[in-house]
Amino acid sequence: MFVFIGGKSVSSSEQKPPTVEKSHNSRTLIFIIVICSSCALILAILASVLKPKQEEAKELDRSKQLMISASLLSPEGYFLVQKDNKYVPAVFSEKEQILIPSPSIVKAKSNEILKVYQIRIRPFLTDNEGNTYTFQEKGIDLAKYLEKNKKDGFADLPLKLVYAILPNNSPQNISGSTTPIGYVIPINGMGLWDAIYGYLAIESNGDTVIGTTWYEQSETAGLGANISFPSWQKEFKNKVIFHKGATGTTDFARAPIGIVVVKGKVSEVYGSSPKADSAVDGITGATLTGMGVTNAYRDVLEKYRPFLLKVHQENISP
Amino acid sequence: MTKPYKAYFLDPLWRNNQILVAILGICSALAVTVKVQVALTMAIAVSFVTAFSSFFVSLIRKITPDNVRMIAQLAIISMFVIIVDQFLKAFFFEMSKVLSVFVGLIITNCLVMGRAESMAKNVPPIPAFLDGLAAGMGYGYVIISVGAIREIFGFGSFFGFQIIPTFFYATPQNPSAYVNFGLMPLAPAAFFILGGFIWIANIINQKRSF
Repeated sequence: MFVFIGGKSVSSSEQKPPTVEKSHNSRTLIFIIVICSSCALILAILASVLKPKQEEAKELDRSKQLMISASLLSPEGYFLVQKDNKYVPAVFSEKEQILIPSPSIVKAKSNEILKVYQIRIRPFLTDNEGNTYTFQEKGIDLAKYLEKNKKDGFADLPLKLVYAILPNNSPQNISGSTTPIGYVIPINGMGLWDAIYGYLAIESNGDTVIGTTWYEQSETAGLGANISFPSWQKEFKNKVIFHKGATGTTDFARAPIGIVVVKGKVSEVYGSSPKADSAVDGITGATLTGMGVTNAYRDVLEKYRPFLLKVHQENISP
Repeated sequence: MTKPYKAYFLDPLWRNNQILVAILGICSALAVTVKVQVALTMAIAVSFVTAFSSFFVSLIRKITPDNVRMIAQLAIISMFVIIVDQFLKAFFFEMSKVLSVFVGLIITNCLVMGRAESMAKNVPPIPAFLDGLAAGMGYGYVIISVGAIREIFGFGSFFGFQIIPTFFYATPQNPSAYVNFGLMPLAPAAFFILGGFIWIANIINQKRSF
């Protein structure tokens, strides 16, 4: 019964006369063509039916990750709002269109997440001198711009992407321009195995980190893949991206930029040096992924330095 | 063949368990057993694929030319795998991110092919379906058990819930307390646990045959 490929015992057709062989072959051919085309047809139908749903899921995931980095959403999936310099659980108020603190933890629904994203996150562009433009001013279509550049990242473009985090105000109350409470910069780089993509949210002083997320990576499961874990990402909170000098002051124009993932523990590597404020603990067994992450922050943020400088200067002298 | 349907279903669950007895489908068992939830999703996916591909392989068994039957089986299997993959991407995006390539690799899971080749092409569709489903479930409960052990000792949690209390854990002030077993999230741990399972299954099966 068992016929193995490459084995000697091939089907009986070998002994048959050539005419039968020919009809046998065409029967086989027809069989395979029918099988393959029916499978292909089913899959094509399925793929086109599920496509919008998949795009939606991907979009929702990206929005979620951005909001987690901006501390609008917790990694567990409930909204956060700033209260007395602390982030507390919140719910979305449909009536006022704002987030209000809530004593109980309520998981956010996906339509609420997309709505809050619409209200609180505003993408805009910055050039190499740090000037900012809206998408309308430059006549660029956001969806096309994202689609075209998402693979190679935005840092090398003449017009780079930044997201502004708007304050928790009702949209009706916003008159004219509002000052963002922070900015989210898309980060990309190379991990150990493949490209990694994430977000870094920075406070309006252009220096202090609100949070970070890595939403697309294919690092080693259990080791490098831990960069996508909230437990590691929370280490970044309140770090500064402009490295402090030996005296503890920052020279914004020239200081090295980025966040260093050290090998081991920050307290062991830098002790009480001011450099510790721009470094996080590495993941054991993921040194190369850590280096990839360090390089990604450094390379991308360096390109955004003019913008960050401008943000910083406006913030200290309004 | 006069085997009752029940036998087709029960046989691959224990006596002919594809992992413990036939040692098939080991590669994916190493990769997806880091956490229980992932293992459960994989178990469901594999059961679905094995059941339905066995059913269809059996359905066309009489018209399949013998020399291309493996290609035909593979076409059917990959169709169901892609269905699962597309479905996960649309409705369980987070899970599809975790499973990533391993869903696609169900195609090469020897277990699915093994059931199609050794059972489905010889029996009618319903028994083939039951056999495939049970083979997938037999694979499923083994990887879920491995996943449970690895998650409990490697992360201190079960199904994502912390079960080892956080105050047990070592802190900078109390460095000699409990720490997670660092080997557990790595693939070799699955090898050891699986080896242990197969050993136990062998002992039980041997006792039974006397």
